[in-house]
Amino acid sequence: MPRLKTTHDVFSAIGEPKRRVLVEQLVLKEMTVNELVDIVKWSQPTVSKHLSVLKKVKIVSERKEGRFRYYRVQPEELRPIQEWMHQFEKYWGGAMDQLDNYLNQIQVKGVDGEQ
Amino acid sequence: MSNDKVIPSEILREFNAPRQLVFDAWTQVKHLNNWMFPMVGCKCEFVSANIVDGGNSLHKVTMPNGNEMWLYTQYEEVLSPEKLIFLQYMSNENGDIVPMTHMPGWPKDMLATLLFEELSDDRTKLTFLWEPRNPTPEELKVFEATRAEHGSGWGAGMEQLNNYLDSL
Repeated sequence: MPRLKTTHDVFSAIGEPKRRVLVEQLVLKEMTVNELVDIVKWSQPTVSKHLSVLKKVKIVSERKEGRFRYYRVQPEELRPIQEWMHQFEKYWGGAMDQLDNYLNQIQVKGVDGEQ
Repeated sequence: MSNDKVIPSEILREFNAPRQLVFDAWTQVKHLNNWMFPMVGCKCEFVSANIVDGGNSLHKVTMPNGNEMWLYTQYEEVLSPEKLIFLQYMSNENGDIVPMTHMPGWPKDMLATLLFEELSDDRTKLTFLWEPRNPTPEELKVFEATRAEHGSGWGAGMEQLNNYLDSL
């Protein structure tokens, strides 16, 4: 199946819980594979495998320094995910604010405002 | 490794109003038109509403910039004054469900469960649960990937990212 790099691929990439853990760690600071292995306690091949998927969709970038490769998150690539993440809270949370105002309003104005 | 149990997203709110009134605000058009939109400056208009078990409604939200959004709602359970369950979809003005192309892979059926709890004569607690119904494994992954700090969604590290993105 041909795969284009689309937003969907970014979502597939972070659909895997282990990859979310890696992204969360790399948000905090740039790290090498070994540093990540120390923190998450998975095997090095497991960490490398997931990193390569994240790299492919450009959520994570790689920088070489001497013998080491450092990985870091590319925040711009995560922005659409952040927007989705807030969709529920934003839409319904916002609607609840409107409801709150409305309920207060009608109870003050209401004809049978017997408290 | 994959866990099929869906943990709903949740919003908890308390309102200074009797439970019956809060419930009516969700189920009567004369109330709904006044508040069912995500921010100040929007308008809401229900063009049809049969808010009963198995019924449906169609409403339009007009955003402050004039953009219109149609929403079709299917009601599963309307149990006054304690419970309301519905599925809501983006639709066109005829109530035909339209695919959300801007959200690829997003679960097709999102189920909302609202529980109204009486705290006192004039105070009501509302629990709003939101979850995909019968999601495909792919949909479930996308749902999990897009929420903060629930279930197997993102952990605390995401907060750092949010702060960072907000500061850009």
